[in-house]
Amino acid sequence: MDKVNFEVLREQIDSLVGSKCEVYDAIGNDDALIIPSERLMDVVALIDQIFDGAHLTTITAQQRAGQHNLIELMYHFYQKFAFTIIVRLPAEAPSIASILSILPGADFYEREVAEMFGVKFTGRTETPPLLLPDDWDQGPPFIRKEVIDE
Amino acid sequence: MSKISIPIGPQHPLLKEPLSMKIDISGEKVLGGSLRLGYVHRGIERLAQKRNYVQTIHLVERVCGICSHIHTTTFCQAVESLLKLEVPPRAQYLRALMCELERIHSHLLWLGILAKHVGLDTIFMHTWHDRELALDVMEEITGGRVLHGANQIGGVRFDLDESHFPMIYANLEKLRSQISGLLDILENEPALIARTKGVAPVSQKTIRQYGVAGPVARASGVDVDMRRDNPLPPYDQLKFSVVTMPDGDAWARTIVRAEEIRESLNLCEMILEDLPDGEVSKRAPRNVPEGEVIIRSEAPRGELFYYLRSDGTDQPARLKIRTPTLAALCLLPVQMSDIQVADIPVVLAGVDLCVACADR
Repeated sequence: MDKVNFEVLREQIDSLVGSKCEVYDAIGNDDALIIPSERLMDVVALIDQIFDGAHLTTITAQQRAGQHNLIELMYHFYQKFAFTIIVRLPAEAPSIASILSILPGADFYEREVAEMFGVKFTGRTETPPLLLPDDWDQGPPFIRKEVIDE
Repeated sequence: MSKISIPIGPQHPLLKEPLSMKIDISGEKVLGGSLRLGYVHRGIERLAQKRNYVQTIHLVERVCGICSHIHTTTFCQAVESLLKLEVPPRAQYLRALMCELERIHSHLLWLGILAKHVGLDTIFMHTWHDRELALDVMEEITGGRVLHGANQIGGVRFDLDESHFPMIYANLEKLRSQISGLLDILENEPALIARTKGVAPVSQKTIRQYGVAGPVARASGVDVDMRRDNPLPPYDQLKFSVVTMPDGDAWARTIVRAEEIRESLNLCEMILEDLPDGEVSKRAPRNVPEGEVIIRSEAPRGELFYYLRSDGTDQPARLKIRTPTLAALCLLPVQMSDIQVADIPVVLAGVDLCVACADR
């Protein structure tokens, strides 16, 4: 585990996914890899296995300028070195597998992304509101770009 | 015996901040629990996208009422990183001085709460009295006890002169003597040992699975500290020990934090001795070039994470804040299972809850 660095990890993820994943090098201080969203569970399971328990710092969701039709989820890990796994989902009906069965600590992060960006996490029973009131019903999700720009 | 669910909060004498818990018990045994956050959600991440960078400093300072300085420091470091702005060394040291004073008063506040929860009111009185010594220093040098307004993009808004040093050294000395006595009591007080030793132990694997960092992780033997592992100046030039304990129980969490106060006092003295001369800030432009950055820093409760993306304007395009309490709160229901009802306050206090931090 001590010898694992981002390059080693990237090779293992590429071999798992079966193709070369795109390296995203625009984030200062973090190496990042864009993976196909349907392989997220496999990749997280691999990270968890390599490090005998993956430390997930958080999940960031966002919509980039000029790409409002996409919601980007960034899974930030820290295992002696920092790296981020990125998946991109259609903003129209964003849905992705929950990683709760591997990392139970992702519960609050998934719930926050669900309520703030309207992402559906499959494979878990429900995503009750984490921060917004139970009866919150004021239009589209709270931090969606189209809501903020109104 | 049948299962009973007890609602606690959101307003409850046990907690100073609003948090709703449902605890399932059977007789004297706790079976588990669940949490509901959001009672102090202020939408800071969303608000930041409608404020300029200068306004956002004041916004993130209000994420937390205890560790407000580390939030502004981390945010300013993120902006400075995008601006490729080198902060004067004196400003870096002054920021770190405030961070360590903040850690001292945060840990003392927490020790007081724990002591009160286990019935040791005298320790509570002493720790909260001693905490004032750190707050007095912060007030003297920045003008604010809780919200310091100390940071700006490019440096800090205060400076130390010769007149400050006698008071700072005197308070640090008093704190050092008080902490020695306090540690002696904590390590030997039978009532505290009986209430905390072996209570709610957490394994290293569970700590990793829940993404927990900071004193809670270090008390379970996880050797992680962002000041050492991912150092931003001046921590790369300062020598300090990372305190860990293998036990993982409420006792270990108490001792780790108490020892960390001593380490922070050493750091404060080191910073004052090595304080470089020169300016304390540089002028920064209002608009931040396009780019994105992640800054991880060590808040009193552990790993603080800021993701900042700029699209070239004077407002953040996305600001994501992950406070250490959020991970620790996620772990709380696990810690709550298989304990005695009387241990609930000890486990709750052991996490060092900061609900405002978690809610943002």
